[in-house]
Amino acid sequence: MTTLFSDDVTIILTAGLVATACAILGVFLVLRRVALMGDAVSHAVLPGIVAVFLLTESRAPFPMIVGAALFAILCVLAIEWLRGTGLLRADAAIGLVFPALFALGVLGIHRYAGNIHLDLDSTIYGEIAFAPFRTVEIGGVLVAQSLIISGAVAIVNLALVVLLWKELKATTFDPEFSKSVGLNPTWVSRMLLVAVSITAVTAFESVGAILVVALLIVPAAAAYLLTDRLWAMVAIAVGIGWISAVVGYTGAVQADASIAGAMGVTAAVLFGVALIASPKYGLLARRIALHRRRRATRPVAAQEG
Amino acid sequence: MGVIAEQLSATFPLTYSEAIVAMGAAILGIAAGMLGALAVLQGRSLVGDALAHSALPGVAVAFIVTGAKDPASLLAGAILAGIVGAFMIVGIERTSRIRPDAAIGVVLSSFFALGIVLLTYISNTGGAQQAGLDTYLFGQAAGIVERDVEIMAVMAGGAALVVVAFFRIFKTVLFDRSFASSLGVPVKIVELATTALLVVAIVIGLRTVGAILMVAMLITPTVVARQFTNRLVWLLPVAALVGATVGITGALASSQAEVPTGPVIVLVGVSLAVLAILFAPGRGVAWRAATLARARRRENTSGVLVALETAMHHGAPPTPRELALASGRSARSVRRGLRDLSRAGLVQRDEGRVILNERGAAAAHAALESRRLWSAWLEHGWRLDLPDAREADPRDLRASLGDDAVDQLVVLEREATA
Repeated sequence: MTTLFSDDVTIILTAGLVATACAILGVFLVLRRVALMGDAVSHAVLPGIVAVFLLTESRAPFPMIVGAALFAILCVLAIEWLRGTGLLRADAAIGLVFPALFALGVLGIHRYAGNIHLDLDSTIYGEIAFAPFRTVEIGGVLVAQSLIISGAVAIVNLALVVLLWKELKATTFDPEFSKSVGLNPTWVSRMLLVAVSITAVTAFESVGAILVVALLIVPAAAAYLLTDRLWAMVAIAVGIGWISAVVGYTGAVQADASIAGAMGVTAAVLFGVALIASPKYGLLARRIALHRRRRATRPVAAQEG
Repeated sequence: MGVIAEQLSATFPLTYSEAIVAMGAAILGIAAGMLGALAVLQGRSLVGDALAHSALPGVAVAFIVTGAKDPASLLAGAILAGIVGAFMIVGIERTSRIRPDAAIGVVLSSFFALGIVLLTYISNTGGAQQAGLDTYLFGQAAGIVERDVEIMAVMAGGAALVVVAFFRIFKTVLFDRSFASSLGVPVKIVELATTALLVVAIVIGLRTVGAILMVAMLITPTVVARQFTNRLVWLLPVAALVGATVGITGALASSQAEVPTGPVIVLVGVSLAVLAILFAPGRGVAWRAATLARARRRENTSGVLVALETAMHHGAPPTPRELALASGRSARSVRRGLRDLSRAGLVQRDEGRVILNERGAAAAHAALESRRLWSAWLEHGWRLDLPDAREADPRDLRASLGDDAVDQLVVLEREATA
């Protein structure tokens, strides 16, 4: 039986698809100013993963997704409840809830580390390097399981965003208007965060619990510096995700370091480039524009004076 | 340090190494509580999260440069990286269109990714030398030795001195930035100092709690302390005390159970915070709910009393059913009100009918009087001629406004009705 892709290609494709799934959602997190809720939710799925693992003793994707989504909803509701008490600020509410849930997950892993194939290192680094080893047979060829899962999530996220494009756009850019036409921004936000949690749990195996955040926020933030159009922002974020996957994998193999970490670093470097050199919003462009404006206004001011 | 630890292990049922762990955790708790408060009160607690994550590559770089696991140089690396991270957050926020939440997220995940790359690089290339660097992720209190505690104590002491010495300046900037700058306080320098202190607190906690969960240690003491006091002078020491308690409990529990310390400390701290949010006297959610329920019950009882008095006025003593119909209240609320009234000895039952006794009638009149006074206050209160500002309490207007005011109100009302 032949395998469909070589190991290298499998890893890069998996990484690219995970990055795609993350970037599509990340764009909306960044635009809605809830980037840190995305961070919180992707931490909060860990106890869900661990609990399902302990209950079913398998890594079947569907129960994991359910467990993770439950904890993500719990996390969002807990944060909203704490905010609603008015006894602490919104940022403190986030900072209380997700470390607590993450801590539960870490303790669960540590407690049962001997019995299950789940350990702290893979929680943090992910095990994308093992992606080619778990394969399933489709139509006579072997395909990596994680490739199928991350591809499915990327497609689901894409479909979600395409189908709800209008709703997402309205609630993101004009919550007041969307309320007046009967769209509830809170529910759209919650749905988005549940999608983030599902993405996080499937990305968990490949890039680890924490680096998911890097793929969610960094490409989207970089894309935000490069364009004013929503569809372009999604496309650029996905592109940055793919570049991170390819460059990160190559770099990691050469330096003998974590692939997921290297992807995060690549995305960060690309963000840095966008921050400095973006044609419209970059530091350089702004400097130059400021300089030109000063030069242009100086003679006018002199004449008036 | 060793002397204190020996003393501790002599006084309490602790081994020498447990005493060291407890001291380290206490210092961490005090520093995190006090210095975390400065960030939490500014609404920038998640900056702490980002800085904690960005300390990680600092530790890794320091290890690569020095090639040894000397705590002082590793922590120096962490401090440096934390400060670079802080500058990057502020820089991204100020110079670009990226909003604060995304700026925090970008710095947090970028530095953490870098830290992971460096840590895996070290562990794949180095030998046994590097073992234990990953305790900086989730903390391992059991690994703390005397030298660690000494370094932590020096840093925490220095930071505490700074806070005490410049307390008034911190306070002014914390509560009113523009007022502070109008007084000539160098606000930007103070904010920089706050961030630097935050980094110090994080670095102190790095060995014990770890980079990933440190943020909770910065937040929980302040959240707990905030439920018990409104004053910064009290908030800082209470937060320090809460931090120390959480730190010691978590560190000792985790080193006995041989699990990473960070998660245990975080769970202890967050449970304490949730308890405080629920049950803090005067502010807690459960406390407020109980006060509200008592007030509603009192209102209901007094309403039933007045309705009963009106019904008695119009004819025969009513049955509870008739009372409910006449007053427009639900049968349940009438039943409850009557139960309270008969417990207070204001009503009697006679063959299913309710009779207001003499004391009950007096109480009903008092309740009616107090209602009339309250509407008089709402209508004419603005015309009162009072020497000072007073706050009216609808439950007892006479006690809260004073006899002179109430007498004036009565006169005003009589004039209006005449």
